[in-house]
Amino acid sequence: MKKIKYTARIKRYDPDTNKSYFQDFEVEVEDSLTVLELLMYIKDKIDSTLTFRAFCRSAICGSCAMIINGRAGLACKIQAKDKIKNGVITIEPLNHLPVVRDLVVDQEPAFNKLKKVKPYLVPDPKVVPDNTKVESLVLPEEFKRYDKQTDCILCMACYGQCNALEGDEKYLGPFQLVKAFRFIMDTRDGVDVEERIKLVEDHGIWDCVQCQMCLAACPKGIAPCDDILELRRIAKDTGEENIATRRAKFWFATVYETGQIDKFHLPEVAFGDERGKEITKKLEEEFKSRGMSEDEFAPKPFEGIEKFRNFIKKLEKEL
Amino acid sequence: MKIGIYPGCCFQGADIHNYDITVNFLENMGVEWVLLDKAACCGGGVIDETNKKIVYGLNARNIALAEEKGVDLYTPCNTCYMVIARTKLALDSDPKLKDKINELLAEEGLEYKGEAKIYHTLNLIRDFIGLENYKSKIKRKLSAKVAPYYGCHVLAPNETAIDDPENPTLLREILEPLGVEIIEGYKNEMTCCGYHARFTDPEQKERLAVKPLEGAKEAGADLVATPCPLCHKAMDGYEEPILQVTQLINLACGNSEKEAHLDFNKTKVNLKLS
Ligand code: SF4
Ligand code: SF4
Ligand code: FES
Repeated sequence: MKKIKYTARIKRYDPDTNKSYFQDFEVEVEDSLTVLELLMYIKDKIDSTLTFRAFCRSAICGSCAMIINGRAGLACKIQAKDKIKNGVITIEPLNHLPVVRDLVVDQEPAFNKLKKVKPYLVPDPKVVPDNTKVESLVLPEEFKRYDKQTDCILCMACYGQCNALEGDEKYLGPFQLVKAFRFIMDTRDGVDVEERIKLVEDHGIWDCVQCQMCLAACPKGIAPCDDILELRRIAKDTGEENIATRRAKFWFATVYETGQIDKFHLPEVAFGDERGKEITKKLEEEFKSRGMSEDEFAPKPFEGIEKFRNFIKKLEKEL
Repeated sequence: MKIGIYPGCCFQGADIHNYDITVNFLENMGVEWVLLDKAACCGGGVIDETNKKIVYGLNARNIALAEEKGVDLYTPCNTCYMVIARTKLALDSDPKLKDKINELLAEEGLEYKGEAKIYHTLNLIRDFIGLENYKSKIKRKLSAKVAPYYGCHVLAPNETAIDDPENPTLLREILEPLGVEIIEGYKNEMTCCGYHARFTDPEQKERLAVKPLEGAKEAGADLVATPCPLCHKAMDGYEEPILQVTQLINLACGNSEKEAHLDFNKTKVNLKLS
């Protein structure tokens, strides 16, 4: 095994003095260390006050998520040597959660948000037998719809990287919404879909900016961003009427008609009020001032659009 | 060297000048191009809210249109790039999905082969044009302090990221030859512009868009430069000005401010050209 030298730049926080600062540790260690093993080495050999949380060391307990070089991930899953950039590896606590000490964050606020989505199965008496002698069957193809989502280890890496939380600290959070999706898809669950959707709307699915950072952060390959789009689809299909569902319907309708989204009429349709009309009117004035003719305002169908529409119809039906 | 321009929604309506900017950029670089004129919307992360399968179909078709013409696909938009590149990954790893979509595409005489590469301005300059060749096209220097802003969808998810997501350098490598001073490490330089919340939660968009701009201003930048037309649209109109990288490149290649469409910016930009 080869030894390598580098700097571990670690964000420290001391609650007694309420001071937060970066501290550099120069290490010469085997190149096979995980980030967690690196932290344990520093605690053991250099500074016993360094504080972090870990348990399983095998990416299953979800304790050790932190920010490594600006990206959230599990310290026990990531090889330290892959993360050395210009001789330095930077390690910080997760964002969006109060820091207790050094790399340890208080997970309570995120768990409290999780509780809001009823993160448990409420057995549907029509599906789940009322005695323990009969099994409650879930077919493989039914389970497939939320199989991946059941892998979530509640590590909060996605939460620590989420952009929606940058704009709204009350945002429910990516893994919380994954959980909501998982129970909506569960055939044994007895809660009405509408009720479950209600639980994820306030500071929830409409707040997400689809940045994809949760997908990039998740050590289990879960894509909260995609599940959020599914939750929005379900909200729309169960009759929710708001700016977002109006936009989604209009978007698809105009792409079907012309191949492109009609951005000119979109504000008017999506807002559905004076504010939207105002925006579309302003656009019209702007277009005119640029000397654009009226038929340039919105997209026109391309040649052979019939075949394209047919294609879309078949995708909907046959795929 | 020929490339297929994919026309997304950033080329229409109030953003129609982005098409000119893109064409001028390619001509300044000496890249031949053809417009994929029958291409359709990538879905923009919105058509998923109707049916995710349609998004796969739409983008298989978009890529097939490039392959029909024997070219790779180029979009300047971060989101189109990410959505199309993610579809390509899905199709290339799922032969059943690919075959089924190809059956349907056959009616338009199209086939998704998986041969065309997906380019965005950043990897186009690095991998298609080549950084040395790119530098050789620059005719004059711009003097300004510029804060690079990547936008999310060229750095996430990791599988489609154009540069090292933790330590990206490509935007700096592209901006430096223009003569500008680079301001990096500013506050919120990786925070999302919020564009995609415009019609789901408009207040959320407002809260986010201003954050990187304020960080850049605080760090002393004269302007922010992003490759993405959507980030540009989301972040233009606040105190700190923002431009697209291709606008700056076009200026450095000799285009006038008018040709580079600086006049359409809501927040005006002052640049010194030499
Ligand atoms: S895609 Fe949505 S949930 Fe995921 S990190 Fe971005 S804002 Fe958060
Ligand atoms: S979704 Fe992934 S990143 Fe988020 S808490 Fe679950 S396992 Fe961790
Ligand atoms: S220590 Fe258990 S997940 Fe890392």
